[in-house]
Amino acid sequence: MRGCRSCLVLIALSLTLVLGFGASVFGAGETGPVRIGLQAPVTGQWAYEGEMARNCVEIIADEINGKGGVLGGRKIEIVVGDDQCSPKQSALVAQRMISDKVVAVIGTYGSSVTEPAATIYEREGLLNIAYGSTAVQLTEHGWKYFFRTCFRDDRQGAFFAEFVNETLKVKKVAILHDNTTFGKGLAEAARASLEEAKKAEIVFYDVVTPGERDFTPILTRMHKADPDVLYFTGYYPEAGLIIRQMRGLGSKAVFVGGNAAINDEFVEIAGKDIAKGALMTQEPMPTDLKYAESKAFLDEYIRRHGVPPSSPWPVYAADALKAIAAAIDETGSTDSAVLADYIRNEMEGLPGVTGPIGFDEIGDRAGAIYLAYEVTEDGKFQPYQP
Amino acid sequence: MTEWDGRFSLSSKLRLPLSAVKSLPSKWGISVLIAIGIIFPYLASDYWIDVAVFWGIYVLLGLSLNIIVGEVGLFNMGHSAFFAIGSYTTAILSERFGLSLWLLLPLSGFAAGLAGYVLAKPIIHLRGDYLLIVTIGLNEIIRITLLNNPWGLTGGPNGIIVLDQFRLFGRAVQHPIDFYYLVWVFVAITVFVLVRLQRSRIGRCWNYVREDEIAAQAMGIDTRWAKLLAFTLGAAIAGATGTIFAAKLVVISPESFTFMESVILFTIVILGGMGSIPGVILGSAAMMVLPELLRNFARYRMLFFGLAMVLMMIFRPQGLWPSRRWTTILREGESE
Repeated sequence: MRGCRSCLVLIALSLTLVLGFGASVFGAGETGPVRIGLQAPVTGQWAYEGEMARNCVEIIADEINGKGGVLGGRKIEIVVGDDQCSPKQSALVAQRMISDKVVAVIGTYGSSVTEPAATIYEREGLLNIAYGSTAVQLTEHGWKYFFRTCFRDDRQGAFFAEFVNETLKVKKVAILHDNTTFGKGLAEAARASLEEAKKAEIVFYDVVTPGERDFTPILTRMHKADPDVLYFTGYYPEAGLIIRQMRGLGSKAVFVGGNAAINDEFVEIAGKDIAKGALMTQEPMPTDLKYAESKAFLDEYIRRHGVPPSSPWPVYAADALKAIAAAIDETGSTDSAVLADYIRNEMEGLPGVTGPIGFDEIGDRAGAIYLAYEVTEDGKFQPYQP
Repeated sequence: MTEWDGRFSLSSKLRLPLSAVKSLPSKWGISVLIAIGIIFPYLASDYWIDVAVFWGIYVLLGLSLNIIVGEVGLFNMGHSAFFAIGSYTTAILSERFGLSLWLLLPLSGFAAGLAGYVLAKPIIHLRGDYLLIVTIGLNEIIRITLLNNPWGLTGGPNGIIVLDQFRLFGRAVQHPIDFYYLVWVFVAITVFVLVRLQRSRIGRCWNYVREDEIAAQAMGIDTRWAKLLAFTLGAAIAGATGTIFAAKLVVISPESFTFMESVILFTIVILGGMGSIPGVILGSAAMMVLPELLRNFARYRMLFFGLAMVLMMIFRPQGLWPSRRWTTILREGESE
């Protein structure tokens, strides 16, 4: 009978499902490797970020394993969970990490993707250290198990304000953001810092919609406000179009992009002539990091993959692993509560790829490093010299 | 037949014998599946239970879209807009007024249904791909509106955090296993209702409109009304599902309601077989469970996923479990 056959298919499918788990459940024993999760967008729109994060974490894991591992000889094993930069997938990956009984999780990239996962980790009491989630709100929940090695948006906003007031020394500032968690957070932080310093005035503050092609209406209004500098906190595709179109309208304002705009694509979209002289605020690119660890790390990265990481974020994943490994070694424990307590209260000045690693009481990375970059004539980014 | 005003009532004089609906599995098959479903969480890890939870949520969404696309043949590729309206209704009302999620479930359904009715009314006369394009537009408008944080209600790109949980017998529905039963009980109820609907006069009229609109009109069916009813009902179910989604995900942000999500829902209906309820269940398994099974392929998993989709469409172009046309045999004495 036909009905029966289709029914059998259904049952077979359910059975495949039921049998499917066996593979995923094997907890680490007392002597087996220490399993650490990496949650990253390995596929999807941001796949290159996920891929580089994985490369970075692997280098550190190999380095630690080469020196004899942690806890007296146990190797570190990285478990990669792909979240595709989607909140739904992120929740699933988080659950999978918990089922896989990892000791701690690194990740992820994207603030609103981190939120659902971090909620689950917090509920289950699993240490997680984000590497590319800079939204302020993440550390405002009072979470016990959440940390991040990257710096929050408001630190960059404060850097921009300082840069405008002390380096550029201009008076009229325009700010544009793209309403993503990231762009808006940064724009608001920049506005708050500028208003606090009371040196420069914000003459224009507005929003563009990502994915659009024509920004002339909004740029015309901006041009009328006659700013000395425009700070765009969105991503590079829009940044490239905006600088093109504002120059087309005759605006001479200095273009400053946030750290989401700094990408070779920006120069390609804008064209070298127009992009020349544009500035970007951002965490130093891996290649501009001045620490001894950074140099060694970067050499190894280039040896393995031919080119250095093309975005600033992946190296923070490397530092997240360093922090976790150091905490495991120092406390002699793999219990998240013990590790989180150590990282929060005792970790200080651990030499990392992006500088000394330490955390404040709410889980944010202590200190801050930012640089202003300038687009050179041949379309490269180099640290800005006034 | 008595005089009929072109609208439908659920009571139908022409009753179909159960065996007439061949697209449904037999009774023992259903019992076995239900039994597997009940014991499943005791065998599986939390992760697989969670996969099943999301599968269930996509079954609900797929079923709701199936009413519109499958039963009536209206191409709606903006369905996640209604899902979003439901989710946001829940998130906003829960955040501002602390309403119980049990109350918000029908309320979100109502809000999405109302939005579906209002938005669909002026465009319902459009056919095929024209309607498809307009619904894509609706989806984008709603997503961007949410992103722009109107009156500080939607929290913009950060979204809204839903702190409340479903409460049952004084216990919060929080763990994957609780959600599993919650979601699949809803799936069971929805499937039951939709099967009844499919066999009712309304269901048959919908199919009639889908097969030949002009003929349906000529037979005195108010096709506009039939289409609007389907659209509203589909939107309402998607909205109610939004409440469960909000409770499950804790954070509701516009990233969850992209055009891609609408495409996934559309694919579920087409892949499963238009108008087929078991097809939707299989189709959502293909879209939700398959990528999870392929996780071991790491960065190649989407490649294999795409390959699986292509193969499925080559070997089963009519869908995984196509709905069959009904054949009703009128025996002597049964006709009027």
